[in-house]
Amino acid sequence: MTDTSDDSRSSTPSRRRFVTAGGAAMVTALAGCSSILGNGDDDSVSGSISLADFRGSGPLVSQRESPGGTSIEDLPDLDGELTLYLGGGEGGLYLDLIDLFEQKYDNFTANHRLEPSSDLANAIIQESEADATQADVFMAVDAGSLGAVANAGATAPLPDEALSSVRDSFQDGQGRWVGIAGRARAVPYNTDRLSASDMPSTVQEFPETGALQGAMGWAPTYGAFQSFITAMRLIRGDDETRAWLEAMLDHGVTEYDNEFRVSNSVADGELAAGFANHYYSLRVRSARESAPLELAFTEGDAGALVNVSGVEIVDGTDNADLAANFVRHVLSAEAQEFFATRTFAYPMIPGVAPVGGLPRIDELNPPDIDLTELADVDGTVDLLREAGVL
Amino acid sequence: MGASDRFERLREQASGETTGSSAPRLLGAVTLAVSILLISPILWLFVHGAGMEPGRIVELVVSETATEVTLNTLVLVAGVTVASLFIGVPLAILTVQTDLPFKRFWTVTSALPLVVPSYIGAFAFVSAFGPRGELADLLAPLGIEQLPTIYGLHGTVLVLTLFTYPYVFLTTRASLLSFDGTVVEAARTLNHTRWEAFKRVTFPQIAPGIAAGALLVALYALSDFGTPAIMRYDVFTRMIYNEQQARNVDAAAVLSMLLLVMAMGILLVESRINASRDGAYVSGGDRRPGEIRLGYWKLPATLFCAAIASLCLVLPVGILTQWLVRSGTRPPGGFSFGISHVANSVGLAAAAAGICLVVALPVAYLSARGTGPLSSLPERLSYIGYAVPGVVIGLALIYLGLQFVPFLYQSVVVLVFAYVVRFLPQAVGATESSILQVDPSYIEAARSLGYAPLSAFRQVVLPLVAPGIAAGAALVFLTTMKELPATLMLRPTGFETIVTYIWLVRGAAYQGQAAVPALILVGVSGLSMLVILRQEGN
Repeated sequence: MTDTSDDSRSSTPSRRRFVTAGGAAMVTALAGCSSILGNGDDDSVSGSISLADFRGSGPLVSQRESPGGTSIEDLPDLDGELTLYLGGGEGGLYLDLIDLFEQKYDNFTANHRLEPSSDLANAIIQESEADATQADVFMAVDAGSLGAVANAGATAPLPDEALSSVRDSFQDGQGRWVGIAGRARAVPYNTDRLSASDMPSTVQEFPETGALQGAMGWAPTYGAFQSFITAMRLIRGDDETRAWLEAMLDHGVTEYDNEFRVSNSVADGELAAGFANHYYSLRVRSARESAPLELAFTEGDAGALVNVSGVEIVDGTDNADLAANFVRHVLSAEAQEFFATRTFAYPMIPGVAPVGGLPRIDELNPPDIDLTELADVDGTVDLLREAGVL
Repeated sequence: MGASDRFERLREQASGETTGSSAPRLLGAVTLAVSILLISPILWLFVHGAGMEPGRIVELVVSETATEVTLNTLVLVAGVTVASLFIGVPLAILTVQTDLPFKRFWTVTSALPLVVPSYIGAFAFVSAFGPRGELADLLAPLGIEQLPTIYGLHGTVLVLTLFTYPYVFLTTRASLLSFDGTVVEAARTLNHTRWEAFKRVTFPQIAPGIAAGALLVALYALSDFGTPAIMRYDVFTRMIYNEQQARNVDAAAVLSMLLLVMAMGILLVESRINASRDGAYVSGGDRRPGEIRLGYWKLPATLFCAAIASLCLVLPVGILTQWLVRSGTRPPGGFSFGISHVANSVGLAAAAAGICLVVALPVAYLSARGTGPLSSLPERLSYIGYAVPGVVIGLALIYLGLQFVPFLYQSVVVLVFAYVVRFLPQAVGATESSILQVDPSYIEAARSLGYAPLSAFRQVVLPLVAPGIAAGAALVFLTTMKELPATLMLRPTGFETIVTYIWLVRGAAYQGQAAVPALILVGVSGLSMLVILRQEGN
């Protein structure tokens, strides 16, 4: 069964929205004009790079309107050699974007170092103390790491144009880092095993929900899951968080390596539901259109966290202009379209819509926390160990 | 790089008008300086430790993490060492002393697993036996829901054993080959059964060989980083890497010192055994003992050899080939493997091999031919690097670099230096053994004909020792190609090698992408076997 399209959106935003698939049901609010863009073919790697190259393909992406915002055509060319510390990088997807920039601009190369965000944040802080900074730009999949570098005073100012295009809640209060793509915590569930009404609206209710007993999955070694637990600690304190983790274990929960596998197992029916970032289910659906998989979103608690990938310029760079221009490129219409259609993330600029069927970011009900505070991962890992999760 | 600069200076001075007597002394002084430079990373570690609050050190040493990791590591080292004996020794006896069919073939297959980098073995095993792995897929239709997990201690022991037992196999084999069969015959004439003869005569003679191999295995298991990391088993190397990545310098340094102490302990045992072997009675006969007839044990023995070969060779290569066939043409998510990765690996390995070759020569020469009490000190010092795990070198060089030479931080220079510190002993060992085979009177003769010491060396000794030096350099080249932890920690940003690429795609769970680089690495490592086998032939 599929939800109908946007007309069904009541004036009070629904807490849950189906991740619909298939062409017709995917039409977004402003759609109607059929796309004149081809889908970016992977083998068309030559000559001019256009929007089509940035845009993904597949059932979730057909019939999108053209993105609004600043086009890269209106930005100065990227020119020179940039050293980029890339934290996480969404399994290499971010490298595709860098690759596109390199193809578009002959004189542009980006040397990257791809490691976990928190590791690179620590490296930047240490290099900065020794006056041996290597990176010009730090791009990371979690705001906590960006915040740690900013708090250590190792950032340089960002261009105003970049800061003004992104909502305040998705950038640092002092403008030291800026969000480039959003990721919402979500609960993928299998529609053959559960219906929307079975899904609790707060995370606290999960261990008490009979339908979920012994049928849930999570990926506790995964950074995004740890951010979710960190948010829970911030909101409810360590003791309650530990109690919740233990209650989940008692309730029966299966451990996975990563949240893509969690989402896949939900689609397979091995699990009834799981904890995962929203876009993993979209990836599954993109590959398997008919998978019995939907997303539920909790409300106002850690389970509804919206975290962002972001970018900052490293203090001491001798490439400040190139770095600033690079940041503007990552927030351009084309790059935001890339994040929306290829990584299924929430775009950060208002001119670009999330892929079909997702609740718009302003319809989500995230908890009110400062994303930079998500930096305390160590405490979370200790807690996960104490609770016997790790 | 410091070491080679100094060496350059040494050569300039040496080729200048130095008198005969001061040349060796100068050579000794400079060589000693180079050796000290080589152990500077380890010295840094202890200097850093000395700068820490004693209370903090004690707190870290007795912390739950440290004790747990110590225990884990000891259990792993013991497990791998014992298990290697159970595989390596029988294989050696079967291929040397029995009438096993196709002995030559099984000799090669038994030695060959050494060429598979253990982390690639771990990779293949996870892919085969891991959750949702090949085996799970095969068994799923049979209603077998859940396999016992491969992760953890037993998986780590299994993989490390399968890819390090050849050390035991090779050393045991060598001692069996050089072993005098007449003593066994003598024992048999004294009415000993075969088993008693083995226990009372054969075993004592080959024990040092077995022990030498076992210690190599122990040292390897202690310092391996990739396998425990893939198998998610918390040992020193993995914890040090994680602490360093999180920039907990103190914890990383203390764990490193503990790891070093363990490595030194293993080295100490090894030197004891070597010393006792030097004094051991070795009868000079080269008559081989009579073949043991396997009789109806022939089939089980052959099956044993085949099983090991299947697990160590067929399985990893099969899995990699399967990945190769399955993986699409375009790498997902911007991970593209290219010629630059190979070029970077080869370039680094060539640089490390070249420098080791140059540095090893004076060190080995002094050790083999020196007369002063200090002449073997550089060689002894260089051997310390052998026991220092890559993560420890990486850790020390990151902080040394940041503190003293920030302009060299994350540069190829530091990375190559790390390789030289770790792998120089291999070059020194090979060079020294070939120098020892040169009759010193040749040099005397050349000197009496009016040659200066250096040119006498160049004209007479060098041509004779060249093959040994080449073998040493080849070993350095191949081990550098495979080296994982130091490469990961010290590589310049944007500088990716075959190994760092494999690690990168593993981290992103795109292991299919690792097929080509892993096969290349296994192929290149296969060459190391040729080097070893050629040495065995000499």
